[in-house]
Amino acid sequence: MYSAAGEEGCHLFNDFGCGFEAPGTSLFFPTPWVDFGLPMTSGITKYALVLVVALLVAAGFWYFTTRNAKVVPSRGQSLAELLVGFIRDQITRNTMGKEGDKFLPLMVALFLFIFSMNVMGIIPGLQLPVTSNLAYPAVLAIFVFILWNAVGIRRHGAGAHFKARLVPGGVPAWILPVVVPIEALSNFVIRPATHMIRLFATMFAGHLLLAVFAAGGWYMFNLFGAPNIGLGLLSTGFSAVALIGFLVFTAFELFIMAVQAYVFVLLSSIYLGEAMEGAH
Amino acid sequence: MIGLAAEENILRIHVDEFVFGSIAFLIILAVVYKMWPKLSSALDERANQIEGGIERAKKAEAEAEEIRQQYREKLDEAHRQYAAELEKAKEQRAAIIAEARDEAQVEARRIVDAAHAQIEADRQQAIAQLRAEIGTLSTDLAERIVGESLADGALQSRVIDRFLDELEQGESTTSSQAEVR
Repeated sequence: MYSAAGEEGCHLFNDFGCGFEAPGTSLFFPTPWVDFGLPMTSGITKYALVLVVALLVAAGFWYFTTRNAKVVPSRGQSLAELLVGFIRDQITRNTMGKEGDKFLPLMVALFLFIFSMNVMGIIPGLQLPVTSNLAYPAVLAIFVFILWNAVGIRRHGAGAHFKARLVPGGVPAWILPVVVPIEALSNFVIRPATHMIRLFATMFAGHLLLAVFAAGGWYMFNLFGAPNIGLGLLSTGFSAVALIGFLVFTAFELFIMAVQAYVFVLLSSIYLGEAMEGAH
Repeated sequence: MIGLAAEENILRIHVDEFVFGSIAFLIILAVVYKMWPKLSSALDERANQIEGGIERAKKAEAEAEEIRQQYREKLDEAHRQYAAELEKAKEQRAAIIAEARDEAQVEARRIVDAAHAQIEADRQQAIAQLRAEIGTLSTDLAERIVGESLADGALQSRVIDRFLDELEQGESTTSSQAEVR
């Protein structure tokens, strides 16, 4: 693919007529280092390695910033408190009220973990957001989905919980045969699916975009291989534009990574708040 | 590429990756929950201290206000006392002046009375002296006129007394006449 083309020295204005091949989805299927040879498995791939790094970053950040928590905070502790304060004031208090404070550690863990996994996409050398593999957002979304049901059932009983989720208040009885299946599909299938796919898709697309800028920039850089010096300089100019685009979009990606982590946590919090509230 | 398409479904969820993800998530959850009490206790402690600080500040403020009130009351009291003292001093001054004036009047009256008495006494003495001298002079004169006829002492004093009585009568008439006038 594009990396192979790069190795062959395929650049703009080449003599042997090879064209640009945009990076494709193969980016997200790294060759396994250890293949289990089982169906539905990928083996140990780069994702597993980056996941471990992301986990170490997130857990390490939390461990070292809160290890010596004091009344007068250190810089690290202030950072941790800032994060906790932000999630509490902007997310859990707004969606679950004071009661939501008991889910605050969960939300902090979710945010830390997701942001850490996302940000691996712009760490040089790793450059693979873990969340661009649907399996990882799925873990989190399914966990939240199960917790959502557990909270609702524990709070209101199984009957009341499922009734509240399936039968919207104030709907005439004759329309229920239509509404109930829609609600069931909406709340129990589409919602967890969108919850995981939203995060996955943004990270997937963002990573692909950065890869296109990087591959395009590399393809267009042909200062020495071009037929004459003018074309060589022109190709370098193109390449510089691609580089600027890459840097701008990297900064933008960082922002998106934070926003997506925020959105995931916010939605989790809204769902749990809804389960706690019961019927509308 | 086409052969790989089925394999390379971007929406695939590999079981092993799902398991890795679950383990990683449980680890981060464990770390966060493990460390949570440390952070939250520090936060609670801070909240307590801040509340305590606010409490102390309020107390100090109330104390200061109380002291200020006391000070103000004392100042007012001092002003009142000062005014009272001033009033008292004024009264005293007036009293002293009045007393002095009375004393002076009494003294003046006493002096005047004493003067009157002295004058009266002097007058009486003068009258007595005059009477005696007039008697002697009259006798001398009469003796010279009448000669030795009046040498008889008894007769002489009788004559003098009559003369003086007449003289006194005349005098009281003139004094009454002077009073009338």
